Amino acid sequence: MVILLATDEAKNIIRPEGEIRLETIDLDMFYDDFQAVKQISIAIPSRRITALIGPSGCGKSSFLRCLNRMNDVIEGTRVQGKVLLDGEDIYSPDTDVVQLRRRVGMVFQTPNPFPMSIYDNIAYGPRLHGVRDRTQLDEIVEKSLRSAAIWDEVKDKLHQSATDLSGGQQQRLCIARVLAVEPEIVLMDEPCSALDPTATFRIEELMTELMENYTIIIVTHNMYQASRVSQYTGFFLMGELIEYDHTVRIFENPQDQRTDDYVRGRFG
Amino acid sequence: MHVKGRAIATWEWFVESAIRLAGILAIIFVLLIFAFLLRNALPIFRQVPVGNLLGGRFWRPTSEPAQFGMLPLLLGSLYVTLGALLIAVPLGLSCAVFASEVAPARLREVLKPLIELLAAIPSVVYGFLGLLLLGPWLANVLNLPVGQFAALGSLLLALMALPMIVSIAEDAIRAVPVALRHNSLALGATRWQTIIKVVVPAARSGIIAASLLGVGRAIGETMTVLMVTGNAAVIPQGLVGFFRPVRTMTATIAAEMGESAYQSSHYYALFAIGLMLFIITFVTNTLADVLVRRAGGVKT
Repeated sequence: MVILLATDEAKNIIRPEGEIRLETIDLDMFYDDFQAVKQISIAIPSRRITALIGPSGCGKSSFLRCLNRMNDVIEGTRVQGKVLLDGEDIYSPDTDVVQLRRRVGMVFQTPNPFPMSIYDNIAYGPRLHGVRDRTQLDEIVEKSLRSAAIWDEVKDKLHQSATDLSGGQQQRLCIARVLAVEPEIVLMDEPCSALDPTATFRIEELMTELMENYTIIIVTHNMYQASRVSQYTGFFLMGELIEYDHTVRIFENPQDQRTDDYVRGRFG
Repeated sequence: MHVKGRAIATWEWFVESAIRLAGILAIIFVLLIFAFLLRNALPIFRQVPVGNLLGGRFWRPTSEPAQFGMLPLLLGSLYVTLGALLIAVPLGLSCAVFASEVAPARLREVLKPLIELLAAIPSVVYGFLGLLLLGPWLANVLNLPVGQFAALGSLLLALMALPMIVSIAEDAIRAVPVALRHNSLALGATRWQTIIKVVVPAARSGIIAASLLGVGRAIGETMTVLMVTGNAAVIPQGLVGFFRPVRTMTATIAAEMGESAYQSSHYYALFAIGLMLFIITFVTNTLADVLVRRAGGVKT
Protein backbone atom coordinates (compact mmCIF):
# COMPACT_ATOMS: atom_id res chain seq x y z
CA MET A 1 0.00 0.00 0.00
CA VAL A 2 1.51 3.32 -0.95
CA ILE A 3 0.49 6.65 0.51
CA LEU A 4 1.43 9.83 -1.26
CA LEU A 5 2.95 12.52 0.90
CA ALA A 6 0.44 15.29 1.33
CA THR A 7 3.10 17.99 1.01
CA ASP A 8 3.96 17.30 -2.58
CA GLU A 9 1.43 15.29 -4.46
CA ALA A 10 2.92 16.05 -7.81
CA LYS A 11 5.94 13.95 -6.97
CA ASN A 12 5.86 10.23 -6.80
CA ILE A 13 7.19 9.85 -3.32
CA ILE A 14 5.84 7.11 -1.10
CA ARG A 15 6.05 6.63 2.63
CA PRO A 16 7.35 3.10 3.22
CA GLU A 17 5.40 0.74 5.45
CA GLY A 18 6.82 -0.39 8.76
CA GLU A 19 8.95 1.41 11.28
CA ILE A 20 10.40 4.78 10.34
CA ARG A 21 13.02 6.29 12.61
CA LEU A 22 14.77 8.60 10.21
CA GLU A 23 13.11 11.12 7.96
CA THR A 24 13.80 14.50 6.46
CA ILE A 25 11.34 17.32 6.00
CA ASP A 26 11.90 19.99 3.34
CA LEU A 27 15.64 19.64 3.57
CA ASP A 28 17.79 22.17 1.69
CA MET A 29 21.56 22.17 1.59
CA PHE A 30 23.81 24.86 0.14
CA TYR A 31 27.46 25.15 -0.74
CA ASP A 32 27.82 28.90 -0.39
CA ASP A 33 25.33 30.11 -3.02
CA PHE A 34 24.85 26.82 -4.79
CA GLN A 35 21.89 24.78 -3.67
CA ALA A 36 22.85 21.11 -3.84
CA VAL A 37 19.82 19.64 -2.10
CA LYS A 38 16.31 20.99 -2.69
CA GLN A 39 13.31 20.49 -0.47
CA ILE A 40 13.83 16.82 0.18
CA SER A 41 11.24 15.01 2.25
CA ILE A 42 11.87 11.32 2.56
CA ALA A 43 11.13 8.64 5.14
CA ILE A 44 13.72 5.89 5.56
CA PRO A 45 12.42 2.44 6.53
CA SER A 46 14.17 0.75 9.45
CA ARG A 47 16.13 -2.44 8.80
CA ARG A 48 15.88 -2.10 5.07
CA ILE A 49 18.28 -1.01 2.40
CA THR A 50 17.37 2.23 0.72
CA ALA A 51 19.28 3.14 -2.43
CA LEU A 52 19.71 6.68 -3.67
CA ILE A 53 20.46 6.85 -7.37
CA GLY A 54 20.92 9.60 -9.92
CA PRO A 55 23.52 11.12 -12.22
CA SER A 56 26.73 12.72 -10.92
CA GLY A 57 26.17 16.00 -9.16
CA CYS A 58 22.51 15.29 -8.48
CA GLY A 59 22.96 15.95 -4.77
CA LYS A 60 22.57 12.40 -3.50
CA SER A 61 25.93 12.32 -1.71
CA SER A 62 25.40 15.82 -0.31
CA PHE A 63 22.03 14.68 0.95
CA LEU A 64 23.56 11.59 2.54
CA ARG A 65 26.11 13.69 4.41
CA CYS A 66 23.28 15.79 5.84
CA LEU A 67 22.08 12.73 7.70
CA ASN A 68 25.08 12.50 10.04
CA ARG A 69 26.04 16.16 9.76
CA MET A 70 29.26 15.39 7.92
CA ASN A 71 28.62 18.51 5.87
CA ASP A 72 29.45 20.46 9.01
CA VAL A 73 33.14 19.84 8.41
CA ILE A 74 33.05 21.31 4.91
CA GLU A 75 33.41 25.08 4.94
CA GLY A 76 30.62 27.13 3.45
CA THR A 77 27.82 24.59 3.79
CA ARG A 78 24.43 25.49 5.17
CA VAL A 79 21.38 23.37 5.89
CA GLN A 80 17.70 24.30 6.17
CA GLY A 81 14.77 22.08 6.98
CA LYS A 82 14.65 19.13 9.31
CA VAL A 83 16.28 15.76 9.71
CA LEU A 84 14.35 13.80 12.30
CA LEU A 85 15.99 10.88 14.05
CA ASP A 86 13.50 9.25 16.42
CA GLY A 87 11.44 12.42 16.10
CA GLU A 88 14.24 14.77 17.14
CA ASP A 89 15.80 17.26 14.76
CA ILE A 90 19.51 16.53 14.48
CA TYR A 91 20.11 20.13 13.43
CA SER A 92 18.66 21.57 16.61
CA PRO A 93 21.24 23.46 18.67
CA ASP A 94 21.31 20.96 21.52
CA THR A 95 22.23 17.99 19.34
CA ASP A 96 25.40 16.21 20.40
CA VAL A 97 27.07 15.73 17.03
CA VAL A 98 29.52 13.18 18.40
CA GLN A 99 26.65 11.10 19.74
CA LEU A 100 24.76 11.51 16.46
CA ARG A 101 27.66 10.18 14.41
CA ARG A 102 27.88 7.19 16.70
CA ARG A 103 24.27 6.39 15.93
CA VAL A 104 24.54 7.18 12.23
CA GLY A 105 27.73 5.61 10.88
CA MET A 106 29.22 6.27 7.48
CA VAL A 107 31.18 4.25 4.95
CA PHE A 108 33.02 6.38 2.42
CA GLN A 109 33.65 6.02 -1.27
CA THR A 110 37.31 5.08 -1.01
CA PRO A 111 38.36 2.82 1.83
CA ASN A 112 40.56 4.76 4.21
CA PRO A 113 41.98 2.61 6.96
CA PHE A 114 43.91 4.59 9.55
CA PRO A 115 47.66 3.99 9.35
CA MET A 116 47.63 1.64 12.32
CA SER A 117 47.01 -2.07 12.90
CA ILE A 118 43.81 -3.83 11.87
CA TYR A 119 42.94 -4.28 15.54
CA ASP A 120 43.50 -0.63 16.39
CA ASN A 121 41.42 0.46 13.41
CA ILE A 122 38.41 -1.47 14.70
CA ALA A 123 39.03 -0.56 18.34
CA TYR A 124 39.37 3.13 17.43
CA GLY A 125 35.69 3.98 17.77
CA PRO A 126 34.98 1.96 20.93
CA ARG A 127 38.09 3.42 22.56
CA LEU A 128 36.90 6.92 21.74
CA HIS A 129 33.69 6.13 23.47
CA GLY A 130 35.42 4.92 26.58
CA VAL A 131 35.86 1.16 26.20
CA ARG A 132 39.20 0.35 27.84
CA ASP A 133 38.81 -3.25 28.94
CA ARG A 134 41.02 -5.49 26.83
CA THR A 135 38.73 -8.53 26.72
CA GLN A 136 35.76 -6.35 25.87
CA LEU A 137 37.73 -4.72 23.06
CA ASP A 138 38.85 -8.14 21.81
CA GLU A 139 35.20 -9.19 21.65
CA ILE A 140 34.10 -6.05 19.82
CA VAL A 141 36.93 -6.41 17.31
CA GLU A 142 36.12 -10.04 16.57
CA LYS A 143 32.37 -9.45 16.39
CA SER A 144 32.73 -6.45 14.09
CA LEU A 145 35.17 -8.20 11.78
CA ARG A 146 32.88 -11.23 11.63
CA SER A 147 29.86 -9.05 10.86
CA ALA A 148 31.81 -7.43 8.05
CA ALA A 149 32.75 -10.88 6.70
CA ILE A 150 36.46 -10.30 6.92
CA TRP A 151 37.38 -12.08 10.17
CA ASP A 152 38.68 -15.24 8.53
CA GLU A 153 40.99 -13.28 6.26
CA VAL A 154 42.56 -11.16 8.98
CA LYS A 155 42.27 -13.10 12.24
CA ASP A 156 45.92 -14.17 12.09
CA LYS A 157 47.26 -10.72 11.38
CA LEU A 158 45.23 -8.43 13.58
CA HIS A 159 48.32 -6.56 14.65
CA GLN A 160 49.65 -5.94 11.18
CA SER A 161 49.12 -2.68 9.36
CA ALA A 162 45.64 -2.24 7.91
CA THR A 163 47.01 -0.34 4.94
CA ASP A 164 48.57 -3.56 3.57
CA LEU A 165 45.15 -5.12 2.89
CA SER A 166 43.62 -5.19 -0.59
CA GLY A 167 41.08 -2.54 -1.59
CA GLY A 168 38.10 -4.83 -1.05
CA GLN A 169 39.42 -5.98 2.32
CA GLN A 170 40.07 -2.38 3.31
CA GLN A 171 36.47 -1.45 2.54
CA ARG A 172 35.15 -4.36 4.60
CA LEU A 173 37.54 -3.28 7.35
CA CYS A 174 36.06 0.21 7.18
CA ILE A 175 32.57 -1.29 7.42
CA ALA A 176 33.70 -3.31 10.45
CA ARG A 177 35.13 -0.13 11.94
CA VAL A 178 31.74 1.52 11.61
CA LEU A 179 29.93 -1.52 13.03
CA ALA A 180 32.23 -1.50 16.05
CA VAL A 181 30.56 1.63 17.41
CA GLU A 182 27.18 -0.11 17.03
CA PRO A 183 25.36 2.45 14.95
CA GLU A 184 21.65 2.15 14.22
CA ILE A 185 21.94 3.51 10.73
CA VAL A 186 24.76 2.99 8.26
CA LEU A 187 25.22 5.48 5.43
CA MET A 188 27.20 4.20 2.47
CA ASP A 189 28.50 6.68 -0.05
CA GLU A 190 29.27 4.69 -3.19
CA PRO A 191 31.08 2.07 -1.13
CA CYS A 192 31.98 -0.06 -4.14
CA SER A 193 33.06 2.52 -6.66
CA ALA A 194 36.75 1.87 -5.99
CA LEU A 195 36.41 -1.91 -5.95
CA ASP A 196 36.60 -4.69 -8.51
CA PRO A 197 33.51 -6.87 -9.27
CA THR A 198 34.47 -9.66 -6.86
CA ALA A 199 34.98 -7.27 -3.98
CA THR A 200 31.77 -5.46 -4.95
CA PHE A 201 29.87 -8.72 -4.84
CA ARG A 202 31.16 -9.44 -1.35
CA ILE A 203 30.16 -6.00 -0.08
CA GLU A 204 26.68 -6.43 -1.57
CA GLU A 205 26.30 -9.82 0.10
CA LEU A 206 27.44 -8.24 3.31
CA MET A 207 24.88 -5.46 3.06
CA THR A 208 22.09 -7.97 2.73
CA GLU A 209 23.33 -9.72 5.88
CA LEU A 210 23.61 -6.44 7.76
CA MET A 211 20.06 -5.46 6.86
CA GLU A 212 18.78 -7.72 9.65
CA ASN A 213 20.20 -5.42 12.28
CA TYR A 214 20.87 -2.13 10.60
CA THR A 215 19.12 0.48 8.57
CA ILE A 216 21.22 1.08 5.48
CA ILE A 217 21.17 3.94 3.04
CA ILE A 218 23.41 3.53 0.03
CA VAL A 219 24.28 6.11 -2.56
CA THR A 220 25.28 4.44 -5.78
CA HIS A 221 26.05 5.26 -9.37
CA ASN A 222 25.43 1.70 -10.26
CA MET A 223 21.76 1.06 -11.03
CA TYR A 224 22.23 -2.68 -11.10
CA GLN A 225 23.64 -2.48 -7.62
CA ALA A 226 20.61 -0.53 -6.46
CA SER A 227 18.25 -3.05 -8.00
CA ARG A 228 20.21 -5.99 -6.57
CA VAL A 229 20.50 -4.93 -2.96
CA SER A 230 17.81 -2.42 -2.04
CA GLN A 231 14.14 -2.64 -1.18
CA TYR A 232 13.46 1.06 -1.69
CA THR A 233 15.00 3.43 -4.19
CA GLY A 234 15.01 7.18 -4.47
CA PHE A 235 15.87 8.89 -7.74
CA PHE A 236 17.64 12.25 -7.45
CA LEU A 237 18.00 14.81 -10.19
CA MET A 238 19.48 18.30 -9.89
CA GLY A 239 19.15 18.28 -6.13
CA GLU A 240 15.54 17.13 -6.11
CA LEU A 241 14.02 13.83 -5.14
CA ILE A 242 12.04 12.96 -8.25
CA GLU A 243 10.65 9.60 -7.28
CA TYR A 244 10.84 7.31 -4.26
CA ASP A 245 9.27 3.92 -4.22
CA HIS A 246 9.82 0.18 -3.90
CA THR A 247 12.92 -0.66 -5.86
CA VAL A 248 10.99 -3.03 -8.09
CA ARG A 249 8.60 -0.29 -9.09
CA ILE A 250 11.34 2.25 -9.71
CA PHE A 251 13.07 -0.10 -12.10
CA GLU A 252 10.08 -1.79 -13.71
CA ASN A 253 7.31 0.73 -13.62
CA PRO A 254 8.51 4.22 -12.75
CA GLN A 255 5.86 6.90 -12.64
CA ASP A 256 8.00 9.83 -13.71
CA GLN A 257 9.29 10.08 -17.24
CA ARG A 258 12.71 11.27 -16.03
CA THR A 259 13.09 8.25 -13.76
CA ASP A 260 12.13 6.03 -16.63
CA ASP A 261 14.72 7.67 -18.88
CA TYR A 262 17.44 7.31 -16.26
CA VAL A 263 16.86 3.69 -15.27
CA ARG A 264 16.64 2.71 -18.92
CA GLY A 265 19.99 4.33 -19.47
CA ARG A 266 18.82 7.14 -21.72
CA PHE A 267 20.95 9.63 -19.79
CA GLY A 268 23.21 9.85 -16.76
CA MET B 1 64.71 23.16 -39.69
CA HIS B 2 67.50 20.67 -39.44
CA VAL B 3 69.99 23.28 -38.28
CA LYS B 4 67.54 24.62 -35.75
CA GLY B 5 66.99 21.10 -34.43
CA ARG B 6 70.70 20.66 -33.96
CA ALA B 7 71.00 24.01 -32.21
CA ILE B 8 68.31 22.97 -29.80
CA ALA B 9 70.03 19.64 -29.22
CA THR B 10 73.31 21.40 -28.48
CA TRP B 11 71.61 23.75 -26.09
CA GLU B 12 69.90 20.82 -24.38
CA TRP B 13 73.23 19.07 -24.02
CA PHE B 14 74.79 22.22 -22.60
CA VAL B 15 72.06 22.80 -20.02
CA GLU B 16 72.02 19.15 -19.06
CA SER B 17 75.77 19.07 -18.56
CA ALA B 18 75.76 22.27 -16.54
CA ILE B 19 73.09 20.94 -14.22
CA ARG B 20 74.83 17.61 -13.88
CA LEU B 21 78.09 19.35 -13.08
CA ALA B 22 76.41 21.48 -10.41
CA GLY B 23 74.89 18.36 -8.87
CA ILE B 24 78.15 16.48 -8.87
CA LEU B 25 80.01 19.51 -7.48
CA ALA B 26 77.77 19.55 -4.42
CA ILE B 27 78.70 15.95 -3.72
CA ILE B 28 82.37 16.65 -4.39
CA PHE B 29 82.36 19.55 -1.93
CA VAL B 30 80.97 17.36 0.81
CA LEU B 31 83.55 14.69 0.07
CA LEU B 32 86.34 17.27 0.02
CA ILE B 33 85.27 18.72 3.35
CA PHE B 34 85.17 15.26 4.82
CA ALA B 35 88.61 14.46 3.41
CA PHE B 36 90.01 17.73 4.72
CA LEU B 37 88.63 17.10 8.21
CA LEU B 38 89.86 13.55 8.18
CA ARG B 39 93.38 14.51 7.04
CA ASN B 40 93.73 17.15 9.74
CA ALA B 41 92.17 15.03 12.45
CA LEU B 42 94.07 11.80 11.81
CA PRO B 43 97.38 12.78 13.50
CA ILE B 44 95.72 13.16 16.90
CA PHE B 45 94.45 9.59 16.69
CA ARG B 46 98.07 8.50 16.31
CA GLN B 47 99.20 10.59 19.28
CA VAL B 48 96.35 9.85 21.68
CA PRO B 49 94.41 6.56 21.94
CA VAL B 50 90.83 6.85 20.67
CA GLY B 51 89.50 5.78 24.06
CA ASN B 52 91.25 8.68 25.77
CA LEU B 53 89.99 11.10 23.15
CA LEU B 54 86.32 10.12 23.21
CA GLY B 55 86.11 8.95 26.80
CA GLY B 56 88.59 11.30 28.50
CA ARG B 57 87.03 13.35 31.25
CA PHE B 58 89.31 16.38 30.93
CA TRP B 59 89.75 18.80 28.10
CA ARG B 60 92.98 20.62 29.01
CA PRO B 61 94.69 21.30 25.73
CA THR B 62 97.22 23.81 27.08
CA SER B 63 98.31 22.19 30.34
CA GLU B 64 101.41 20.01 30.68
CA PRO B 65 100.86 17.27 29.70
CA ALA B 66 97.92 18.28 27.53
CA GLN B 67 94.68 16.29 27.90
CA PHE B 68 92.25 15.95 25.02
CA GLY B 69 89.26 14.23 26.63
CA MET B 70 86.21 15.13 24.54
CA LEU B 71 83.64 13.71 26.95
CA PRO B 72 82.81 17.05 28.62
CA LEU B 73 82.35 18.65 25.21
CA LEU B 74 80.26 15.78 23.85
CA LEU B 75 78.07 15.87 26.92
CA GLY B 76 77.94 19.66 26.78
CA SER B 77 76.62 19.49 23.23
CA LEU B 78 74.27 16.67 24.24
CA TYR B 79 72.81 18.66 27.14
CA VAL B 80 72.32 21.81 25.12
CA THR B 81 70.88 19.94 22.14
CA LEU B 82 68.65 17.68 24.21
CA GLY B 83 67.35 20.67 26.11
CA ALA B 84 66.68 22.51 22.86
CA LEU B 85 64.83 19.47 21.55
CA LEU B 86 62.71 19.17 24.68
CA ILE B 87 61.62 22.77 24.25
CA ALA B 88 61.43 23.03 20.47
CA VAL B 89 59.63 19.79 19.58
CA PRO B 90 56.52 20.19 21.76
CA LEU B 91 56.38 23.88 20.93
CA GLY B 92 57.00 23.35 17.21
CA LEU B 93 54.52 20.51 16.98
CA SER B 94 51.85 22.52 18.76
CA CYS B 95 52.52 25.44 16.43
CA ALA B 96 52.29 23.17 13.41
CA VAL B 97 49.04 21.59 14.60
CA PHE B 98 47.62 25.00 15.37
CA ALA B 99 48.64 26.42 12.01
CA SER B 100 47.38 23.50 9.94
CA GLU B 101 44.34 22.29 11.87
CA VAL B 102 43.00 25.00 14.12
CA ALA B 103 43.89 28.46 12.88
CA PRO B 104 41.53 30.13 10.43
CA ALA B 105 43.08 30.63 7.01
CA ARG B 106 43.74 34.35 7.55
CA LEU B 107 45.64 33.84 10.79
CA ARG B 108 47.65 31.04 9.19
CA GLU B 109 48.76 33.42 6.43
CA VAL B 110 50.25 35.71 9.07
CA LEU B 111 51.53 33.06 11.44
CA LYS B 112 53.86 31.19 9.13
CA PRO B 113 55.88 34.16 7.86
CA LEU B 114 56.18 35.39 11.45
CA ILE B 115 57.59 32.09 12.65
CA GLU B 116 59.88 31.95 9.66
CA LEU B 117 61.17 35.38 10.64
CA LEU B 118 62.77 33.73 13.67
CA ALA B 119 65.16 32.05 11.25
CA ALA B 120 66.16 35.37 9.75
CA ILE B 121 67.55 36.74 13.01
CA PRO B 122 71.36 36.33 13.09
CA SER B 123 72.59 33.93 15.75
CA VAL B 124 74.80 36.59 17.32
CA VAL B 125 71.65 38.59 18.06
CA TYR B 126 70.20 35.60 19.87
CA GLY B 127 73.47 35.43 21.76
CA PHE B 128 73.20 39.06 22.81
CA LEU B 129 69.62 38.56 23.84
CA GLY B 130 70.61 35.61 26.01
CA LEU B 131 73.77 37.13 27.43
CA LEU B 132 72.39 40.51 28.37
CA LEU B 133 68.70 39.94 29.03
CA LEU B 134 67.48 36.40 29.37
CA GLY B 135 70.49 34.94 31.23
CA PRO B 136 70.72 37.42 34.08
CA TRP B 137 66.94 37.47 34.42
CA LEU B 138 66.64 33.67 34.55
CA ALA B 139 69.57 33.42 36.96
CA ASN B 140 67.80 35.87 39.21
CA VAL B 141 64.42 34.18 39.00
CA LEU B 142 65.72 30.63 39.32
CA ASN B 143 68.37 31.63 41.84
CA LEU B 144 71.29 30.28 39.81
CA PRO B 145 74.97 30.98 40.55
CA VAL B 146 75.66 32.29 37.04
CA GLY B 147 73.68 33.73 34.15
CA GLN B 148 75.34 31.51 31.56
CA PHE B 149 74.26 27.89 31.52
CA ALA B 150 73.26 24.97 29.28
CA ALA B 151 69.48 25.48 29.40
CA LEU B 152 69.85 29.09 28.31
CA GLY B 153 71.60 27.88 25.17
CA SER B 154 68.84 25.28 24.76
CA LEU B 155 66.16 27.93 24.98
CA LEU B 156 67.73 30.13 22.34
CA LEU B 157 68.55 27.20 20.07
CA ALA B 158 64.96 26.06 20.40
CA LEU B 159 63.80 29.43 19.12
CA MET B 160 66.21 29.19 16.23
CA ALA B 161 65.19 25.63 15.34
CA LEU B 162 61.49 26.40 15.64
CA PRO B 163 60.87 27.67 12.09
CA MET B 164 62.33 24.54 10.53
CA ILE B 165 60.42 22.21 12.83
CA VAL B 166 57.14 24.08 12.38
CA SER B 167 57.34 24.28 8.64
CA ILE B 168 58.31 20.64 8.04
CA ALA B 169 55.87 19.30 10.63
CA GLU B 170 53.11 21.43 9.17
CA ASP B 171 53.78 20.09 5.69
CA ALA B 172 53.63 16.56 7.04
CA ILE B 173 50.36 17.22 8.86
CA ARG B 174 48.82 18.82 5.81
CA ALA B 175 49.83 15.84 3.70
CA VAL B 176 47.57 13.59 5.80
CA PRO B 177 44.56 12.86 3.57
CA VAL B 178 41.40 14.77 4.43
CA ALA B 179 39.52 11.49 4.07
CA LEU B 180 41.27 10.12 7.18
CA ARG B 181 40.02 13.06 9.20
CA HIS B 182 36.50 12.59 7.85
CA ASN B 183 36.54 8.90 8.67
CA SER B 184 37.57 9.67 12.20
CA LEU B 185 34.93 12.37 12.64
CA ALA B 186 32.28 10.09 11.17
CA LEU B 187 33.08 7.54 13.87
CA GLY B 188 32.13 10.08 16.48
CA ALA B 189 35.58 11.48 17.24
CA THR B 190 35.89 15.13 18.18
CA ARG B 191 38.23 17.35 16.21
CA TRP B 192 40.79 17.19 19.00
CA GLN B 193 40.63 13.38 19.23
CA THR B 194 41.04 13.22 15.47
CA ILE B 195 44.16 15.39 15.59
CA ILE B 196 45.79 13.48 18.43
CA LYS B 197 44.86 9.94 17.45
CA VAL B 198 44.82 10.00 13.67
CA VAL B 199 46.41 13.07 12.12
CA VAL B 200 49.56 13.36 14.22
CA PRO B 201 50.31 9.60 14.17
CA ALA B 202 49.77 9.57 10.40
CA ALA B 203 52.28 12.40 10.06
CA ARG B 204 54.76 10.95 12.53
CA SER B 205 57.60 10.25 10.09
CA GLY B 206 57.53 13.84 8.95
CA ILE B 207 57.37 15.07 12.52
CA ILE B 208 60.32 12.93 13.57
CA ALA B 209 62.24 14.13 10.53
CA ALA B 210 61.45 17.73 11.47
CA SER B 211 62.77 17.10 14.96
CA LEU B 212 65.94 15.50 13.65
CA LEU B 213 66.60 18.40 11.33
CA GLY B 214 66.07 20.63 14.34
CA VAL B 215 68.72 18.61 16.18
CA GLY B 216 71.09 19.01 13.26
CA ARG B 217 70.52 22.74 13.39
CA ALA B 218 70.98 22.92 17.16
CA ILE B 219 74.07 20.77 17.42
CA GLY B 220 75.89 22.71 14.73
CA GLU B 221 75.02 26.16 16.07
CA THR B 222 78.07 27.95 17.40
CA MET B 223 77.86 31.66 18.06
CA THR B 224 74.86 31.65 20.37
CA VAL B 225 76.07 28.80 22.55
CA LEU B 226 79.55 30.28 22.68
CA MET B 227 78.04 33.45 24.08
CA VAL B 228 75.54 32.07 26.56
CA THR B 229 76.56 28.66 27.87
CA GLY B 230 79.48 29.73 29.98
CA ASN B 231 82.29 27.79 28.29
CA ALA B 232 83.29 25.58 31.19
CA ALA B 233 84.60 22.26 29.91
CA VAL B 234 83.24 20.24 32.78
CA ILE B 235 81.10 17.13 32.70
CA PRO B 236 77.49 18.17 33.42
CA GLN B 237 75.90 16.27 36.28
CA GLY B 238 72.28 15.12 36.28
CA LEU B 239 69.43 17.57 35.92
CA VAL B 240 71.30 20.33 37.68
CA GLY B 241 73.74 20.18 34.79
CA PHE B 242 71.20 22.00 32.65
CA PHE B 243 71.56 25.02 34.91
CA ARG B 244 75.35 25.08 35.10
CA PRO B 245 77.88 26.32 32.57
CA VAL B 246 78.90 23.80 29.93
CA ARG B 247 80.93 23.91 26.79
CA THR B 248 79.84 22.49 23.48
CA MET B 249 81.95 21.02 20.70
CA THR B 250 81.23 23.91 18.37
CA ALA B 251 82.05 26.56 20.95
CA THR B 252 85.37 24.82 21.69
CA ILE B 253 86.43 24.91 18.06
CA ALA B 254 85.39 28.52 17.63
CA ALA B 255 87.06 29.67 20.83
CA GLU B 256 90.33 27.77 20.50
CA MET B 257 91.10 27.52 16.81
CA GLY B 258 92.72 30.93 16.77
CA GLU B 259 94.96 30.14 19.73
CA SER B 260 96.19 26.70 18.77
CA ALA B 261 99.53 26.42 17.06
CA TYR B 262 99.37 25.25 13.48
CA GLN B 263 99.70 21.45 13.29
CA SER B 264 100.07 21.05 17.01
CA SER B 265 98.27 18.27 18.86
CA HIS B 266 95.72 20.83 19.99
CA TYR B 267 95.13 21.86 16.37
CA TYR B 268 94.56 18.24 15.31
CA ALA B 269 92.31 17.60 18.30
CA LEU B 270 90.06 20.49 17.28
CA PHE B 271 89.76 18.94 13.85
CA ALA B 272 88.84 15.66 15.49
CA ILE B 273 85.98 17.50 17.19
CA GLY B 274 84.97 18.90 13.83
CA LEU B 275 85.00 15.40 12.38
CA MET B 276 82.75 14.17 15.19
CA LEU B 277 80.33 17.02 14.52
CA PHE B 278 80.34 16.27 10.83
CA ILE B 279 79.53 12.62 11.47
CA ILE B 280 76.76 13.43 13.95
CA THR B 281 75.02 15.94 11.71
CA PHE B 282 75.51 13.71 8.68
CA VAL B 283 73.80 10.82 10.44
CA THR B 284 70.89 12.89 11.77
CA ASN B 285 70.33 14.56 8.42
CA THR B 286 70.43 11.28 6.54
CA LEU B 287 67.99 9.76 9.00
CA ALA B 288 65.69 12.75 8.64
CA ASP B 289 65.93 12.51 4.87
CA VAL B 290 64.94 8.84 4.91
CA LEU B 291 61.98 9.62 7.16
CA VAL B 292 60.82 12.54 5.03
CA ARG B 293 60.89 10.29 2.01
CA ARG B 294 58.93 7.64 3.84
CA ALA B 295 56.42 10.25 4.98
CA GLY B 296 56.03 11.25 1.33
CA GLY B 297 55.04 7.70 0.53
CA VAL B 298 52.17 7.77 3.01
CA LYS B 299 50.38 10.54 1.15
CA THR B 300 48.27 8.39 -1.23
